[in-house]
Amino acid sequence: MTCLEVEARLHPYVDGELPVEETAAADAHVVGCAACAALVRRERAFRRLLRQQPRESAPPELRTRVAGAVRQEARRGGRRVSWLAAPALAAAAALVVAVAVSAWRPSEPLVNDLVDKHIAYAQLERPAELASTDPGEVAEWFRQRAGMRVTVPDYSPSGIRLVGARLAEAHERRAAYLLYEKGRTLLSVFMLPLPDDAARLGGTPVSYRGHEYRRDERKGYHTVTWLDGRAVFGLVSSLDYEALLECADRLRLERARTTSL
Amino acid sequence: MIGGQPLFRWTAAGRDPREFEQVALVHLDALYQTALRLTRSRAEAEDVVQETFLRAFRAFDRFNPGTNCRAWLYTILRNVFLNRRRQEGREVLDPQGMALAEAAESATACSFTGDNPEEEFFQSVLHGDVDRALKAIPLVYREAVILADLEGLSYKEVAEVLGCPIGTVMSRLARGRQQLRRALSGFAREHGYLRKTE
Repeated sequence: MTCLEVEARLHPYVDGELPVEETAAADAHVVGCAACAALVRRERAFRRLLRQQPRESAPPELRTRVAGAVRQEARRGGRRVSWLAAPALAAAAALVVAVAVSAWRPSEPLVNDLVDKHIAYAQLERPAELASTDPGEVAEWFRQRAGMRVTVPDYSPSGIRLVGARLAEAHERRAAYLLYEKGRTLLSVFMLPLPDDAARLGGTPVSYRGHEYRRDERKGYHTVTWLDGRAVFGLVSSLDYEALLECADRLRLERARTTSL
Repeated sequence: MIGGQPLFRWTAAGRDPREFEQVALVHLDALYQTALRLTRSRAEAEDVVQETFLRAFRAFDRFNPGTNCRAWLYTILRNVFLNRRRQEGREVLDPQGMALAEAAESATACSFTGDNPEEEFFQSVLHGDVDRALKAIPLVYREAVILADLEGLSYKEVAEVLGCPIGTVMSRLARGRQQLRRALSGFAREHGYLRKTE
C-alpha cells in the first residue's frame, strides 16, 4: 500500500472497519512509514478523545416517567389497533411514489392495495429505505438497485419535500416507492406497469389540465390514479384532491420530459 | 379496526412492559446522552427520549431480538428528533444544508490558512469543548460523528440508523471529524493553548 492508499482508507482503518487483507496491507505500510504512522497516531488520539467524553446519566425522574408511560401504554395497549390512533401520528398523511413490475392480479381495486401500503409504510420507523431529498440520487438508486427508470418529481416549489424511496410491493409486483411530505403530511405516489384490465382503476373520473384521472377515497385517504405510457400511477395522501391533482400533473410533465418507462 | 379490517398485528400480548424494560429501557442513559447532544437542551432531550421509548414500545413486537436494540432505539430517536425539528421549522437534513455545510467548511478552511491542520491540540481540549464543537457542525455530520465516535456504533449500524449506504457514512464521518477538529482547534486557540503553528 502507498501513502495515498493509506490516507484514502485512514478513517475505516483507524475504526477497524477495513477488510482483513487491507488492514494487513495498511499495517505493513504504516510500520515502515513515519509520516503515515504519525497520521494514524493523531487520528487515533482524536478518536480516543471523542470516545472518552464524559457521559451524563438520565435523571432518575426521567427513568420513572418513561417507565410509567410505558406501563400506562401497555394497559391501554389492547385497545390500540391502529397507528392512526396515536396522537403524534394522527395529523400525519403521506406521499409515496411507487412503481411495480410483475404479474397483475386484478382481484381487488388497486387503490385498496395502495392505501394499505401507504398506511403500512407510514407506520414504519423508517418508511423510506433510502433517505434522500435529492430526486437525482433517488432516480439513480432505483436504476442501480433494480434497473428501474423512475421519474422522481421535484415538488419542492409547492412545499412538498422528497423524503426518500424504497422498493415496494403492490399487487404482488415489485414497486418503486417515493415518500414525500408537506409539513407533517405525507403523500404517496405509486407507479405500476399497465394492467390488462385498466378499468380496474375504479373511482370517479376527473379531468385536470386536459388529462383524465380517477379519484377515490379509502380509509380516510384520498387517491388519484391515472395511466401514462405503459404504467399506472397512484397518489395517496390526506392532502386534498386539488393538491394531489397538481402533483399528478407535475409528475406527468416530468415524465414527458424524460424517457418513457 | 378501520374499514372492518385489522391493519396491524399490534396486540397486548406482543408488548410486555417487563420484557421491554429489560431489553430496551436499559439503554435509557445512552439514549438520553445522545438526545442531549442532538437537542442541546435537557428539557427537549427528556421529551425526545420519552417519545422515543413510547414509540419503541408500540413497535416492540416488530423489533428483531437478534439485532442491536440500542441501534434500533437510535433510529427511532433520530426520527422523533427530526420530526420535532421539522415541526419547528428548524435545521433538517436537506441538500441545502449540505451545500451550506460545504460552504461553511471551505470558509473555515480559508480562515485558518497558514495553520497546520494536523496540530496536536488534543491535550488542550477543555471540558465541554467537544460538545460545543459538535454544536457548531451541521446536523448531517454531527449525527454520524455522535453515533460512530461517541456512541461507538459500527459503520453498518450507523448506516442502518441513518438509512444511508455505508459509503455515505464513511464520507460523512470523514468530513464531520475534519470539521469537528477544526472547531476544536479554534477553541484551543481561544483558550490560548495554540498561538501559532508549533
